[in-house]
Amino acid sequence: MDVPDIPRFDRKFFDGKERFTRIGSGAVGGKGAGLLRIHALLLSRLEPDAFPAFAVGIPTLTVVATDMFDAFMERNRLHEVAHSDLPDDRIANAFQKAELPTEMLGDLRGLIEKVHQPLAVRSSSLLEDALYRPFAGIYQTKMIPNNQLDADTRFRRLVEAVKFVYASTFSKSAKNYVRMTDRGIEDEKMAVLIQEVVGRRHGDRFYPDVSGVVRSYSFYRSGHARPEDGVVNLALGLGKSIVDGGLVWTYCPAYPKAPAPFGSVGEMLDQTQAEFWAVNMGKPPAHDPMNETEYLARASLLEAESDGTLWRVASTYDPASDRVRPGLSLPGPRVLDFSPILVHERLPLNGLVRRLVKDCEEALGEKVEIEFAVTFDEEADGLARFGFLQVRPLVVSHEFVEVAKAELTADGVLLASENVMGNGSAEGVRDVVYVRPGRFDPSLTRVAAMEIATINNRLLEERRPFLLIGFGRWGSSDPSLGIPVDWGQICGARAIVEATLPKMNVDLSQGSHFFHNISSFEVSYFCVRHDTDDRIDWEWLEGRPPESDTGLVRHLRLAEPLAIRVDGRTGRGVIRTRG
Amino acid sequence: MKNKGFNAFEMAKAQFDKVADMLSLDQATRDLLRYPLREYHFSIPVRMDDGAVRVFRGFRVQHNDARGPAKGGIRFHPQETVDTVHALAMWMTWKCSVVDIPLGGGKGGVICDPHNLSQREQEQICRGWVRQVARDVGPFRDVPAPDVMTSGQHMLWMLDEFETIHGGKYPGFITGKPVGLGGSLGRTEATGYGVVFTVREALKELGIQPKGTIASVQGFGNVAQYAIQLYHQMGGKVICVSCWDQADQKSYSFRKKDGVDLDALLKITDRFGGIDKAKARDLGYEVLPAEAWIEQEVDILMPNAIENQVTGENVNMIHKRVKLIAEGANGPTTPEADAAIKNRGIFMIPDFLANAGGVTCSYFEQVQCNMNYFWEKDEVLGKLDVKMTSAYIAVSELARKQKLYMRDAAYVTSVSRVAEACRERGWV
Repeated sequence: MDVPDIPRFDRKFFDGKERFTRIGSGAVGGKGAGLLRIHALLLSRLEPDAFPAFAVGIPTLTVVATDMFDAFMERNRLHEVAHSDLPDDRIANAFQKAELPTEMLGDLRGLIEKVHQPLAVRSSSLLEDALYRPFAGIYQTKMIPNNQLDADTRFRRLVEAVKFVYASTFSKSAKNYVRMTDRGIEDEKMAVLIQEVVGRRHGDRFYPDVSGVVRSYSFYRSGHARPEDGVVNLALGLGKSIVDGGLVWTYCPAYPKAPAPFGSVGEMLDQTQAEFWAVNMGKPPAHDPMNETEYLARASLLEAESDGTLWRVASTYDPASDRVRPGLSLPGPRVLDFSPILVHERLPLNGLVRRLVKDCEEALGEKVEIEFAVTFDEEADGLARFGFLQVRPLVVSHEFVEVAKAELTADGVLLASENVMGNGSAEGVRDVVYVRPGRFDPSLTRVAAMEIATINNRLLEERRPFLLIGFGRWGSSDPSLGIPVDWGQICGARAIVEATLPKMNVDLSQGSHFFHNISSFEVSYFCVRHDTDDRIDWEWLEGRPPESDTGLVRHLRLAEPLAIRVDGRTGRGVIRTRG
Repeated sequence: MKNKGFNAFEMAKAQFDKVADMLSLDQATRDLLRYPLREYHFSIPVRMDDGAVRVFRGFRVQHNDARGPAKGGIRFHPQETVDTVHALAMWMTWKCSVVDIPLGGGKGGVICDPHNLSQREQEQICRGWVRQVARDVGPFRDVPAPDVMTSGQHMLWMLDEFETIHGGKYPGFITGKPVGLGGSLGRTEATGYGVVFTVREALKELGIQPKGTIASVQGFGNVAQYAIQLYHQMGGKVICVSCWDQADQKSYSFRKKDGVDLDALLKITDRFGGIDKAKARDLGYEVLPAEAWIEQEVDILMPNAIENQVTGENVNMIHKRVKLIAEGANGPTTPEADAAIKNRGIFMIPDFLANAGGVTCSYFEQVQCNMNYFWEKDEVLGKLDVKMTSAYIAVSELARKQKLYMRDAAYVTSVSRVAEACRERGWV
């Protein structure tokens, strides 16, 4: 999308007339284009008094267009290193040593001289827009505190962050991801959004009171929810908790008051958010421009309570009654269930979210995913600030596949589950990569991640889709909860299974980390709990001769392709062998 | 430099008088600012390579240092005159003031022709020049820099002599040093880039996108080369450049209507910016008379060579398409030509604003030297852009509010700042 209608950045970030500006004259990438559409939508559709409790808007941003990326690559002769097989950190290092184009330096300097609050430097990829596919979690975002007294230091940090995002275009994960499309990484160009971080400062931490991701369609189902009712994830602090697939609060926007699907209060305590991410405004960390979390800090609910940010989002566990009580008046462990907002409706957040989803669906003509952040600034006219961070199209398959319950127990079933995300059937999968249940141990998840990544790369080269089976939450940032892969390390999988074992008995992610990727690439995502009727025929798998076997991870190559079928309406799925 | 009776100092004084009237300056302030505070004239005896001794004439003029140490280049030119140096020193005062850096104005020179001098002979001139003024210059008094036909190498010889005399390390004595030896990254590009930063801002005001504009450039030295580079990067196209031909002792213009290829031209250019005519013809350039650069059908003219180039005699050759003139050189336009340009409504970015990028980066170099901590190039260029843009905006806002010609607005801005500094110091 060209950007003739975006005003040029006039070096007045907060003081200027425009809140959405550009540096350079090329394309603005997928994220930028999505926000541009919504910017127009918010201006035209949402009546100012529709939600009087909220000030709704897109946080101030300027987008560095792709012509600056082109100039950066060409003038520093970075194409060769970028397309090489060098490790990510070597590529990132070469990018850090390169010089940004002169044309954008004055604008960055002008911006930084007047802004002293945290900034998010986000990727906005051209292919994301061209392919109409989300590149969620593929390219990097860097948050900078931007609170140093010295403008030179702030400028250097901003420049480093922009180069960091540029370098992420050529990470191994990104290259693998693009390989899954019909385009090459050489077609990719990167715009960069420099955006105000929505949040408030509490001592050394800066974060929003609530971050959220809403998807207007979800094959994941619970209770009465239908796929078209969608799903919302909420977290305290920065949205990184959600994007990384951490423990967050998930609910259906049609039923915000429905009890969460936890087996017990203890399980609820274990499976709700206990830590959150914030921008570190305190003592500068060790200089590490190639680290996404250089300026981020993790904090506990105790710290959030002392910051005064829990009272709208948390309840309290009362051990005497073994119940969760609303509010914070009682002593006891706090539970981030967002009930003050969702159940007691102290703020009509769910209504606003549903309205925005509806408007965005109408505007884009398809199902959407929205990211947002909310702050409750009691001093700002009592208005909560709703920052609209991102909107993406959701790819939804409408193929009609019926999987009868009886099929789950029929002969030749390798794997069956009543909790499957996705829809449709897949042919041509002859490779299976699985973590061996007998060898698996929660302490080995990092090892498993590396071994799976190696096999994934090999199969990508050979263009062979595969079935991937592992334990715990795929993509968890906490290795004790699952195998900590990023999407690029497993992106060749056509179907993914996350299973539990007695020694890895966690609440499954339901694909939340990779939701966007698996739905846009129509990857089926099976959840198989060992303590239900869902099943995996481990004996059959262990009986096949392996193509490779590391002891922990096995790769099988089957003579006949698997038959993979998922009924998106019922959430039922089955994988059958044919040989 | 001697130039058909043209006297740069008379021109500089006339410009100042006009602004002094506009500002209603009192007589004492006029008397103070109309002439240099100090000037030094001296002889530099040099034993030449053939054993003979030649005496060169050198100058240093400190026009005004009310806002900070004097700052200005040292020129080596066979036609140098002290009146030219007077004018250039005064313009340096206005230039430092218009970009609001804490420096005053100075200039120096030696009457010599480096084309005909060996490296050793040039080194002796540099060292001799410093020996004559070592007590009157320095990081807190007067800070020289390269200028016409002087380079980083000359600055290093001068620095070395200065440090030898004073018995210490004073990297902030002189700017324009090579990177790694006290020089600043971005200094080479600074003047040319600075010209284009102001061009960019002017085009914004005129409502013209840089992409698709066409320019003609006089000169092909450092300023012109980097101005062309950044202008091309912004999407503009230069179709004509001109340069001095040492062998023929005259200038030529080189035109390519589909746009000059900077990299290709640089490969056939000597270190003084002279383009090889024969090779240029082979590359498809038309080799035209000296003044052809001014009559091209373009949107922008950038006189980036030397003073007194746009005159009453050639100003009417400017094509009617021209909307903007950015003076990369010092004093390229005579008052007579300036009046004609103003009457035609061509937007003018005056020299001491347009080409202030060089001195701004020299100031950055001095700051870095004094800290002994050196910035990354993007940091230098980012600051340069902000400084130049702020200066441009301040001048253009004044021009708009008071309905002034840009040159007058720039003078009013800078002269008033210097006059104020003199007043606050109690000088007048």
